[in-house]
Parts: sequence; structure tokens; C-alpha cells
Amino acid sequence: MKIPVGIPVFVAAAGTDPRFAKMVSRWLVCAGLWLLVASVVGLLEAVRLIDVEILADHAFLTFGRLRPVHTMTMLFGWASMALIGLAFYVVAKSTLLPMHAPLSRTELFLANLALALTNVGIAVGAVAMCMGDVNAGREYREWPWYAMAPVFAAVGICGVLFYRMVARRAVAGIYISCWFVMSACFWIAIVVLMGYQTIWKAGIPDRIIDGFYIHNAVGMWFTPLAVGMTYYALPKLLNKPIYSYALGVLGFFTHMVFYTVIGTHHYIFTPLPMALQTTAVICSVAMIVPVWASTGNFLMTMKGERLAISHSYSLPFLFVGVVGYGLASLQGTAESLRFVQEILHFTHYTVGHAHFAMYVFVTFLIWGCIYGLVPRMTGREPPILVVAVHFWLALGGIAVYVIGLSVGGHLQGNAWVAGEPGMESVRVVAPYMVWRAVGGLLMFVAHIFFFVALWRMRPGAFTMAYSGGKS
Amino acid sequence: MAINIHTSHRLLLALSAGTYLILVYLCAVWPAMVEQTAMEALPRPDHGELVARGREVYKSFNCVTCHTQQIRGDARRAYAVDDRVVVPVLEADARFGREVATRAEEYAWQDPVFMGTQRIGPDLSSTGRRLPESQWHYWHLYDPKSVSPGSVMPPHRFLFTSKEPSGDTSAYHEEVIVIAGLGVQGDRLWATPDAVALVEYILSLNREFLEVEGLGR
Repeated sequence: MKIPVGIPVFVAAAGTDPRFAKMVSRWLVCAGLWLLVASVVGLLEAVRLIDVEILADHAFLTFGRLRPVHTMTMLFGWASMALIGLAFYVVAKSTLLPMHAPLSRTELFLANLALALTNVGIAVGAVAMCMGDVNAGREYREWPWYAMAPVFAAVGICGVLFYRMVARRAVAGIYISCWFVMSACFWIAIVVLMGYQTIWKAGIPDRIIDGFYIHNAVGMWFTPLAVGMTYYALPKLLNKPIYSYALGVLGFFTHMVFYTVIGTHHYIFTPLPMALQTTAVICSVAMIVPVWASTGNFLMTMKGERLAISHSYSLPFLFVGVVGYGLASLQGTAESLRFVQEILHFTHYTVGHAHFAMYVFVTFLIWGCIYGLVPRMTGREPPILVVAVHFWLALGGIAVYVIGLSVGGHLQGNAWVAGEPGMESVRVVAPYMVWRAVGGLLMFVAHIFFFVALWRMRPGAFTMAYSGGKS
Repeated sequence: MAINIHTSHRLLLALSAGTYLILVYLCAVWPAMVEQTAMEALPRPDHGELVARGREVYKSFNCVTCHTQQIRGDARRAYAVDDRVVVPVLEADARFGREVATRAEEYAWQDPVFMGTQRIGPDLSSTGRRLPESQWHYWHLYDPKSVSPGSVMPPHRFLFTSKEPSGDTSAYHEEVIVIAGLGVQGDRLWATPDAVALVEYILSLNREFLEVEGLGR
């Protein structure tokens, strides 16, 4: 077996525009800070399911209000910002733009402005929800409109910048990562507009939009970006081409067609139109095609590279993320089936699945891409021991969390079907709330280590000097 | 050279954007329009000002995080009683006492709809019938465990005050909360107007269609 020897990071980073590197790094550091904030909130919520008295005397910190603070900050603070930051680098590299000036001064200003707008939106959203202005019952869009507006504007700005970068690419072909990035920016804009429109906002029409929004916000934004980043990072780090480019194209189109219509599987057994429910279930099964087109593609690319993966500090994250993508999506397909929903819908099992998907899939891929690509941009590598601790704490934490909630969710659902009194289902699930909190604590500690590593990779004076004296 | 999605960013974006817009129309806009038309034919329910305010309190505390308001039913096993289609309730939802699944009409004009996606606590769609005593709900809001041992619901003590309200007190609900071990034993507590409205709203969740004649086929 060969261990591919890539270009040393200092050389790879040579000639990179320091203002560009700083801009990308700012997106990632802000994302890392929001990850810490959202983890603390999530941990607090988990502990409260064990002891309800914690911080119980403050109306603005009630469980119901903090829960969307956790989810929205994780989604739009952590995952979204990290992926946008990475996308700037990946689009610039895969379009072969000159790295000493991938963006013009105006474009750099706009990218930094988008960053500021996003941060403002997330902070305003969190405060507004704690004050009680929460878009209740509308998951992943609980922010009032004035918090979503700046974030929406920021995504719009970034979408235009990505498009312009692709338009002036130095190669004829458009690499698949850029397909995902450009399209995702358009898709999420439509999704957010649908989520905040006021034409269908009552009764069953509202729920049809909700089913659409819940799943498209995740699947037409985080999934394509995370997969797109991996299509660049994985071959780059392994120093070999992707196993099959055609599988990537197949994955892109089937993902777009099937993923768009599966949202109503959140509303099986409700008065929503039966045709819509059935279509959603069928397409949820069809999701196996795009998911395994990409997962299979990544796994085949990694085939025979076991030694390279075990010697790298970034590839293990990508490996876990790729396997997580395949498994979390299969789990989602299974959960959409009616006989499974009958037992598991409304239980903690669903929360376990949501974390499996956003963490083992999206977050691990983000980490893999950050550890793999950022040193190539800044010339600074993270302390390997810190990365190792981060990896094992995060993996152990999410395993404890997901296993606990999966077992607990099963017991809960079966207690309901057996017709036990409601409190019995609370009682059987109680021990697994401890698993949840322990898993959450491990993940939170892992995130501190991640932030330390991220901080050490930021562009510094050395990078600036190395990149040709420009600053 | 022929125009090719691999080499034309315009064509590529047009294709992914256009296909997506068509799909969004088919799976969200069109069904929403159809259901909107169906809803327009239904009357706007009016439960009064207090219940409407209570609904806002319910919304602001995001109670829907833990409480659903939907009883699921299997439409494939639906049958007709007189002119009415009856959807039997799933076994998993049977414990809330309803014999018929919630219907589209019951959600008409609700903005937002509190159908919910998670049951850390029980479904509330028929609370007015299951737990009709307002006193129970005040105790429960103040200290859920006192009336519902083992509950993981957070106490909502901030919805009560021990200071005697001055001025117009008609909106307050005077309560003497006697709960062992809470340190307020025998203290007089007043439920704030928000708490009064919230309890009224919860008690209004008492959907019709609960019992359908001839259901025991």
C-alpha cells in the first residue's frame, strides 16, 4: 500500500491572497463559535430533561424557547457558515482561479459583509426567540422574519459571488462541487421564500408548506454543500481522481428530483392529501439512489487507502462522514415507511436520527474538509493530538447520544402502542435521557478541542510572509 | 461546440433552478392552493379574545416543542358513518380518548398550526375533555409534578405572582396554591393574565368529532 505524499501545506498555501484566506477563516471561526454556543444550549436542554428545575425561573430561558435557539444556531450558525466558508475556497480552487487574487476587492468586501449579516441574523434570532417572538410550530424557521432576512440576504450575496467565480473559471469544465454549491444557493433561497411567504400560512396549506420546508431546508442546502465539499476534498487529500465522475452527476440529478418531494413524510397519518403522503414515502425510498451514488463513489475512491486514512488527521473525519451519510439516509428511508412511523414518530428516536444526520454526516464531513483544506490555505497545521482528542470525543459522544435515543425511542413508542399510561413512556425513557446528556457533554468538550485546532490554523503572520509579502 | 451542462454554467444553473421550481410547484404550491380553496369554504372559528390571547402565550413559550395537537389515523381503513368519513385512530394514539383521527376542518384558519412533531409530553388536542378542571391546570402550570407525578414538564412559576395585583384585577385569577414541600404552602398566589389566558386556551382544546355515532361497528 502506498501513502500518498501530497504537497506540503506551506507550499500549497504559497501565493494565496491573505485577505481571501482571512475572509474564509473568519467564516470558519464564527461558525466554530456558534457551534460552541449552540452546544451549550443543547447540553442545557438535555440536562433539563433529567432535572426540570435547572434555570426554571426565567421565562426567557424556558425549554420551548431554547430548543429552537439550539437547532437554528446549529443549522444556520455552525453548519451553514462553515460550509459557506469552505465553499469559497473549494470553488476558487476547483475553478482554477488565480489564488493570489481569487476575488476582487469589492467581492471580498461583499463576502465579509455577508458574514456580518449572517452573524447579526443568528444573534437577533436567538434573542428574539428568548423574548418570546418565536415562529412556533414551524421547525427550522422559528426565527421571526427580521432575523431570517439578513441571513437570506447573505446567502444571496454568496450565491452571486459563487456564480461569478464559476463564470470566470480557468477551465472549460465545471467541477461537480460547483454544481452543488451554485444550485444549493438557488434552492435554499426558494426554500426560505416558501417558508416565510404569507399566502398559505393557516390550516392544512400551512402544513403542506411545512413538510416541504422542513426537509428541503436540510436536504437542498446542507446535504448538497457537504457532499459538494467532499467531492473536492476527498480526491485532493488522497491524491487521486474520484472513482466515478458519472456517479456524481447521477447523484446530483436524482438528489434534486427525489429530495424535493419527500417532506410530507413528516405528516403521515394526518389529514394532508393522501397522494402527497404516498409520493413522499415512495421518493424517500428512491433516495437510496442519490445517497449511495455519492456514498458508494466516496467509498470506492477510498478503497485500498486504509493506510493513508490511518496516517491522516483529516481523512478519518471524511470516512466517518461518508459512512454516516449512507447510514443516516438509509435510516431516514426506513423511518418514512408507514409501519415504522406508527411506532417511532413523535419519539426521541427521531431526534436521534436528526443528530445522526446533522452530526455524523454533515458535521464530520465539515471537520474533515476543514482539517484537510484549511492548512493548505493558511500554511498552518493544527496540533495533531488536539485533533485526535476532538475526533474520538466527538465520535464517542454521538455514539452514546444516538444509541441512547434510539433505544429509548423504541421503548417509548412501544409503550404507546401497548396502550400504557402516558407517564409510563416518560418513565421508561428516563435512563436514556442520561445517555443523551452524557453524549452531549462529550460532544461539547470535543467542540472545545475543535475550536482550539481551528484557531491554530488561522492565517498568521508567518502565512502572510510566506504568501509573498502581500497583506 | 454544442452547449453542454458540463461547460456552460448558465445552462447548468438554469437546469437545476428550472427543474426545482417545477418540482416545488408540484409538491408544495399546487397542493397548498388546492387545500387553501377547500379551507376558504370553512368558517373562521372564534373562541373569543381570552382564548386567542392564550393561544399567543402557548405560541410564545413554543409549547409545540413537546406537545402535539394531532391524533393520527389510518386513512386506508376509513369508513363512512352517515355522510361522514371516519378515520380510525392508530393504536399508538388511542390513549388520548379520541375515537376519530383529527381532521382537516379542525385546523382550519389556525395560524400557526400546532400539529407538532414530537411528544415529550402528551397530545393536547382533547385536553378540555380529558382534564376539564381549570384548578388542575393552574397547579400543573405552577408545579407539574404536584398533579402529574414523574412529569418532565418545566414548572411555569413565572406565570404566577405572590404580589397582590393592584388596580384592575379582573384579568387575574386568584389562587391559593397549597402544595407540599414547595415553600409556598398556604401562600396566596395570583395567576397572571397570561396564565389565565393560557389555561383558557388549553381548556378550549376540546375538539368535536370525539364521539361518532355508530363507531363501535
